[in-house]
Amino acid sequence: MALLSLTQLLALLALLFAAAAFALRWRWAAQRPLADDRAPMKGSPARGVLYAFTFGMAPWAKESTRRHMIAYLRGVGFHIGIFAGLAALLTSPWWPLVPDSARWLFAFVIGFGAWLGFVGEIMRQVEHNLRALSTPDDHASVLLVSVFLATASIALINVGWLPAMYLASALMLIYAPLGKIRHCVYFFFSRRFFGLFVGRRAVIHSEATR
Amino acid sequence: MSAQVDTALQVLEKQLNRPLVVALEACARCGLCAEACHYYLAEPSIDHVPAARGEALRRAYRAEHDFLSRIFPQWTGAEKLNEESLAKLAEMAFSQCTLCRRCAFNCPMGVDTPLMMRAVRAMATASETAPELLVMLADAAIEKGKDPSFFRDMFVEQMADLEKELQTKMGDPAARITVEREGAKILYVPLAGEHTIMPPAIIFNAVKEDWTLSIFEAANYGVFLGDVARAKQIAARIIDEAKRLGVKEVVLAECGHAYASFRWEAPNWFGETFPFKVTSLIEKLDEYVSEGRLHLDPSANPELITYHDSCNMARTGGVIEEPRRVLKAIAHNFVEMTPNRHEAYCCGGGGGLVALPEYTERRLKAGKPKADQIRKTRANIVVAACENCRLQIGEISEQYGLGVEITALADLVVKAMRLPATRPEVEKLFAGDPATVSSN
Repeated sequence: MALLSLTQLLALLALLFAAAAFALRWRWAAQRPLADDRAPMKGSPARGVLYAFTFGMAPWAKESTRRHMIAYLRGVGFHIGIFAGLAALLTSPWWPLVPDSARWLFAFVIGFGAWLGFVGEIMRQVEHNLRALSTPDDHASVLLVSVFLATASIALINVGWLPAMYLASALMLIYAPLGKIRHCVYFFFSRRFFGLFVGRRAVIHSEATR
Repeated sequence: MSAQVDTALQVLEKQLNRPLVVALEACARCGLCAEACHYYLAEPSIDHVPAARGEALRRAYRAEHDFLSRIFPQWTGAEKLNEESLAKLAEMAFSQCTLCRRCAFNCPMGVDTPLMMRAVRAMATASETAPELLVMLADAAIEKGKDPSFFRDMFVEQMADLEKELQTKMGDPAARITVEREGAKILYVPLAGEHTIMPPAIIFNAVKEDWTLSIFEAANYGVFLGDVARAKQIAARIIDEAKRLGVKEVVLAECGHAYASFRWEAPNWFGETFPFKVTSLIEKLDEYVSEGRLHLDPSANPELITYHDSCNMARTGGVIEEPRRVLKAIAHNFVEMTPNRHEAYCCGGGGGLVALPEYTERRLKAGKPKADQIRKTRANIVVAACENCRLQIGEISEQYGLGVEITALADLVVKAMRLPATRPEVEKLFAGDPATVSSN
């Protein structure tokens, strides 16, 4: 019990650290200029942003993802697992109230995400471009997240693993704002900028501008 | 730290706006962008993976701005910028990236690698490691803007001669080429060379447009340098001219980077929405065709024709359907390349590469995917709405034995115009047009 409380406290402190560190990063980035776009629009920025977060993410929307469908779907599955894992972590004190069927479903999604994470790490080691692109930070990030997902998945079925999950989540949360894991936050801004670009200039929905 | 490196880092610091920070931080290094790059397709190597190019700048960025990287640089691949890495960065940004944006469109994260490459170009320009020729071309354009009076008189004389030629071609003594006429509705900005003046002049006169000609060229080499200060000075010549003449619209010649920069970026450089509309000649042609103001005979263009989407016109500029509508009105046999529109391959000549003789071999090699694309269409004519693309495609046609004719859209429109009395003369004029590059 003492171990559970201790690891729970560690996870909570790590969460607070991550939140504070991301807030600092946010403040630094927000201080950077963002010029108003003064060129008259041709299309709709809202439509572009909507596209960027929906159909633009579909596996068939880009040549790169059509070409590397399996690698892309692996990444999508991994990240679905991450979001499910974070949701499970944040709701962990209330797990006893969750029906068994829901816990098993979450355990499967998160566990599958963990497996895809480990597969991703193997791909990073094996595929020559990925290997050349990777830094120790990349490997550590994938492994930290995958271990967290694996422990969360098991803990959902066997609460005896809760301390392991809290410990793994603490390590991941402390590392998140420092290393490559932080790209997950910038993803939303990056897709938004992309959406604004293609939307304003009517690049994707060019036929609708006449 | 040398003064050169210090200058480059200062420029990086200035360039670090929110979109650039996001581009530097968002990459997951998944490598899916590799085949999006025509350099990688032509020569698969890690150096040609867009993510690897981004990493080259990120190494310097992390060394300056990342907490973990400052403590454990090897852990994150951070590296302090030095003269050697700056020179490598500059070489990469000017010779291995045409700023075509194809990687950004193919990135699951939406990482804007061209934005990073433009930042590198700016760093290189400020630290005097950019290609000298581009700097000279930009500075020459700026000088011309400072005192255009001498040049103007000569240009007006040349245009008076060209006007006579125009009247003969059109069989219309009322056909006009006016230069900087106050109160005209449209200011047309050509490129260097009469081949970008005569076809639009025929079209403007045929539709009885209220137009006048700019004394400046639309090209802006400051953009290729990533140097907003120079790009602004070059664009300011046309903006001041348009304001002085009181025109309602500035129509730019068929030029990709001129359109993308003047239409989409210049208002942000100057922090103002211009009191005139900015369009490409392509959009204007589409307007005339859709309004039925041009009488066109598609049988005048019987060859199999394909269209090359200039990256600046299409992916960056959003001019995608307009040329296709015009082509369908002026030719019966139009065939698309695959892929096309925002997925089209860069020809390899963008980003100022076509002007840099030291990178010719690399440029032609990178043009191979486009050459293969063209060959598959079996087209005889390639239409490109960008002068740099036309030059590059002309060269890759020769290099890879495509044997295609490369032409501007306006040239084909003129061929398809119903001017029975003068059509043979017009055809004769274009038969010897130096702008029509053929490797036959």
